[in-house]
Amino acid sequence: MVSTDVTRPVDERAGVPVGPRDSTGYRLFTWLNAGVLVLVTVVILYPFVTLLAQSFSSSGAIKAGLVNALPVGFNLETYRVVAGDDRFWTSYGNTVLYTVVGTVIAMVLTTTFAYAISKPHLRGRNALIGIAVFTMFFNGGIIPNYVLISSLGMKNTMWALVLPGALSVFNLLVMKSFFENIPRELEEAAQIDGLGWFAIFTRIVLPLSKAVIATMILFYSVAYWNDWFTAFLYLDEDNLFPLSLFLRNLIAGATTTTAASAAAAGTTSAAISANIQAVTMILAIIPILCVYPFVQRHFVSGVMLGSVKG
Amino acid sequence: MKLDLTARLTHRAGRRLTALAAATALVGLAACSSGGSDDGDAGENDAAAMADYAADTTFKATEPVTFSMLWTDWPETPITDSWEVFDEIEERTNVSLDLTNIPFSDAVEKRSLLISSGDAPDIIPLIYTGDEQQFAASGAVLPLSDYEEHMPNFRKYVEEWDLGDMVDNLRQADGKYYMTPGLQEVSVPTFTLLIRKDIFDEVGAKVPETWDELRDGLEKIKAAYPDSTPLADGFEGASMLNYAAHAFGTVAGWGFGNGTFYDEDSGEFVYAATSDGYKDMVEYFHGLVEDGLLDTESFTAANDGSGTVTEKFAAGQVFAASGANGTVNDFSTALDATVGKGNYEVVQIAPPGGEAGQVVEPRNFWNGFMLTSEAKNHPNFIAMLQFLDWLYYSPEARDLLRWGVEGETYTKTDGKYTLNPEFSLDAFSINPDAQTDILKDLGYSNDVLAGSTESRALKESYNAPQYVEYIDSVLSTRTPRDPFPPAPLDETELEQASLLATPLKDTVDTNTLRFILGERPLSEWDAYVGELESQNLQGYLDLINGARERYADENG
Repeated sequence: MVSTDVTRPVDERAGVPVGPRDSTGYRLFTWLNAGVLVLVTVVILYPFVTLLAQSFSSSGAIKAGLVNALPVGFNLETYRVVAGDDRFWTSYGNTVLYTVVGTVIAMVLTTTFAYAISKPHLRGRNALIGIAVFTMFFNGGIIPNYVLISSLGMKNTMWALVLPGALSVFNLLVMKSFFENIPRELEEAAQIDGLGWFAIFTRIVLPLSKAVIATMILFYSVAYWNDWFTAFLYLDEDNLFPLSLFLRNLIAGATTTTAASAAAAGTTSAAISANIQAVTMILAIIPILCVYPFVQRHFVSGVMLGSVKG
Repeated sequence: MKLDLTARLTHRAGRRLTALAAATALVGLAACSSGGSDDGDAGENDAAAMADYAADTTFKATEPVTFSMLWTDWPETPITDSWEVFDEIEERTNVSLDLTNIPFSDAVEKRSLLISSGDAPDIIPLIYTGDEQQFAASGAVLPLSDYEEHMPNFRKYVEEWDLGDMVDNLRQADGKYYMTPGLQEVSVPTFTLLIRKDIFDEVGAKVPETWDELRDGLEKIKAAYPDSTPLADGFEGASMLNYAAHAFGTVAGWGFGNGTFYDEDSGEFVYAATSDGYKDMVEYFHGLVEDGLLDTESFTAANDGSGTVTEKFAAGQVFAASGANGTVNDFSTALDATVGKGNYEVVQIAPPGGEAGQVVEPRNFWNGFMLTSEAKNHPNFIAMLQFLDWLYYSPEARDLLRWGVEGETYTKTDGKYTLNPEFSLDAFSINPDAQTDILKDLGYSNDVLAGSTESRALKESYNAPQYVEYIDSVLSTRTPRDPFPPAPLDETELEQASLLATPLKDTVDTNTLRFILGERPLSEWDAYVGELESQNLQGYLDLINGARERYADENG
C-alpha cells in the first residue's frame, strides 16, 4: 500500500495529454465507458431519489403513482409526524447502541483471534481454524439457538443481539490473511527492541492494518444496523426493538392492510401511508449513507488485500 | 380463504422464515412423542373458578389471578401504559393479563417459534381456522372440545347463530377441535368487486348483479373509453377467481383450498378444477381477455397488495377491481389526487352471481384462540376457560372490547351504539375531531381482541355506512354456499395429501392462467384434465372421500 501511494501521483498526471493523442477508438471507448457508468449510477440512485421525493409528498399522490423524481404535494408534515413518535427515537437509539457495542465487541474478538491464528508457530492453529470454519457450514438451527439464548438468560437483553453474531468467520479469515502478510521481520525487530506480543499487536500490527480494520468495522456495523432477524427472535419488549424491526413492522403494516388486516371486518384508515414509510426509511439509511463514502476507499483495498494474497 | 391470506403473509417473509418453519415442524415432530398423552381431566385446577358460571353472567374470579397471553402489536396502534381496557377487564373479572408482545410483522412465525420452544404464554389469540392444525398434531395445544362444558357462552351462540356444522369442520381426525373461533352472527365476503359507479352510470350500465351483466357494463365502458382495460385484480387473479368461482359453482383462487368440491348429487368430493363450472369460469374470463376488457397484467404481475391497480384505477385505465373495504379508501385517496374529490364514486358491490345462482362463499369464522398444553397445569385452569368464554363470547365483553364502558365512552339505546362526543375512533373515522381516541389512547377496538365474535348489530355499529350497505346487500340478495361435510385427515394422510395436492395445484394454477390469457387454447381442456389425472388425481380424491366416510361413520 505504501508503494502505491508513492507511484500514484506520477500515474495520475497521465490525465494531462503529454504523449501522442489518444486514438479515436480509445476516445470513443472512454466516452462509451463514461456513458454506461453514468447510466448505472442513475439506475442505482433512482430508487433513493424516488424515496426522497415520496418522503416529501402527499400519500394520495404516491398511491396514484404520480411521484417520480420530484415531490408532488410537497409537505414536511410527515417528517414532523415521524420525528414526533417516541418509539421511532427509542428504536433509533437502540440501533445505535447495539451497533456500537456490537461492533466494538466484534472487532476486539476478530482482531485478537485473527492475529493469534495468523502465527504459523501457534500450536493447534489448524484445529482452531477448523473449529471456526466448521461454524460457517453447520449450525444448531434456529430453535436450538433460541433455547440456548433463552436459557442463558439473554432473551430481552442487548446481549442476545450483540453476542451471537460477534465473530463472523468470513471476516476472521480475511483478517487472518491480512495479518499473515505483515512482514515477520517487522515484528522481530520490535521484539529485539523489547516489545511483548501484546504491545507488538497493539502498537505495530494494528496501526498497520487500518485499511482492513476500517473495512471490518463497516461490515460489522452495517450488519448490526440492518439486522432484524435476531431482534425478531429474541426480543419481546418493544422498548428494546431496534430500528430495523420497527421499520419492518411499519412496512408490513402498510403492505398487508390491503390483504389480511383490512380484512378484519373492514379496518379503514388504519393503513400506514406510503409517505410515512418513505420518511422512516430515509431517516434509517442516512447514518450508513453518511459513513459509507469515508470508509469506502479503505473498503476496496482492505478486502482485496486479504483475498488476493491469502 | 383466511387460511390463504395467512399463507400470503408467510410467503412474503422470505427464505429465512421458510427455514424457521421447517425447523418448527421438526421440533413439532419431536414434541409429538412427549406431549399429548394425558387426557382432558380437569382435576384440581379449579381454584378461583366460579361454581355457578353460566351464559350471559359476568365472570369474576373468586380471587385475583394472572393469565399469560400473547399480544400482537399493530404498528399503527402500539400498546401503551394508558390503555384502560386492561384495567377495566381486571376490575370486572379479577383477572390481570401478563402479555408477551410480538410485532405484527412476522407475528405468525414468532408465534410458531414460541410455541415450539415451549416459551409461549398460555393464551394464544388471533388464531384463524387452520392455524391450529400444525400445533394440534404435535400436542402443543389443548383440545378445547374437551372443555366445552366450561364455555357456556360459546355453546349458546354456536347454537343461536346456527354455527354447529361449521364447528364440526374444525374437528381434527381425532374428532376434537383445538381452537375456538370468533363467532359471527352474519358474515359477508371480505374481498369483492369495487366499481367506479359514476362511470357505470355515465355509460348507462347498471350495477352488475351477475357476471354477464358485468360483461355488458364493461363492454359499454370499453366503447366509451377505448384505451382502458376496465376490469382488474390486484392479487394475481386469485382474489377475483375466488369470489367469481362461487357463482360458477366451484372454488378457485384464494378459496381453492385443498382443491376439492363437495358434489351434493353424488354425495362425494370431486376435484374443483376439472368440473364444468370451473371450465365455464375460465372460458368467461378468457372471453374478457380476448375483448380487451380485462387487465392481464394484474393477473400475472406479482405485486404486493394492489399498488399498480390503485395507480391504474386513479389514472382511469381501470374501472372495476377486486378489493376489501380498506381498498375503497386506497382507491379514494388516489382518485382524490387525480380526478379530484367529489368527482367520482367508488362502490363495493356484492359479488355477482352466475349459473350456480346468487351464491357467495360460505359463512366464515373470525379469529379465536387456542391454549398451549402448559395451560392445563395452571392452578386456575378452569377459571381461565371461564374467563376466555366471557371475554370472547359474552355480549358484555364484546361491547366492552369494541366500545369501552357504557355511559362513559359510549351510550346504547335500542341496540344502537353511539360514541360519546369527547371520544374518537380514528380507525373508522368516527368523531375524528375528539380529543381521546378509544383505540390509540384507551385500547378499545384493538385488533387482537375486538374483531373476534360479533353480533350483526355490533358489526354494523362501527363500520362506515357504505360498508353496512354492502353487508345488507349481500345478506338480502345472496345466499352463502353450505359448508362441505368434514373430512379430517390424520397425520400420515395429511402428509400424503399434501404431497399429492401440491403438484396438482401447481398444474391447476399454471393452466388456469394460460387458459385465461389465451396461451393455451380451450380446446386442450381434455388434455389438461388428463395431465391432472396422470398426477394421481383419483388417489387424492379417494384419500379425501375416505376421510369423509370415516368421519361420518364415527360421528354419525
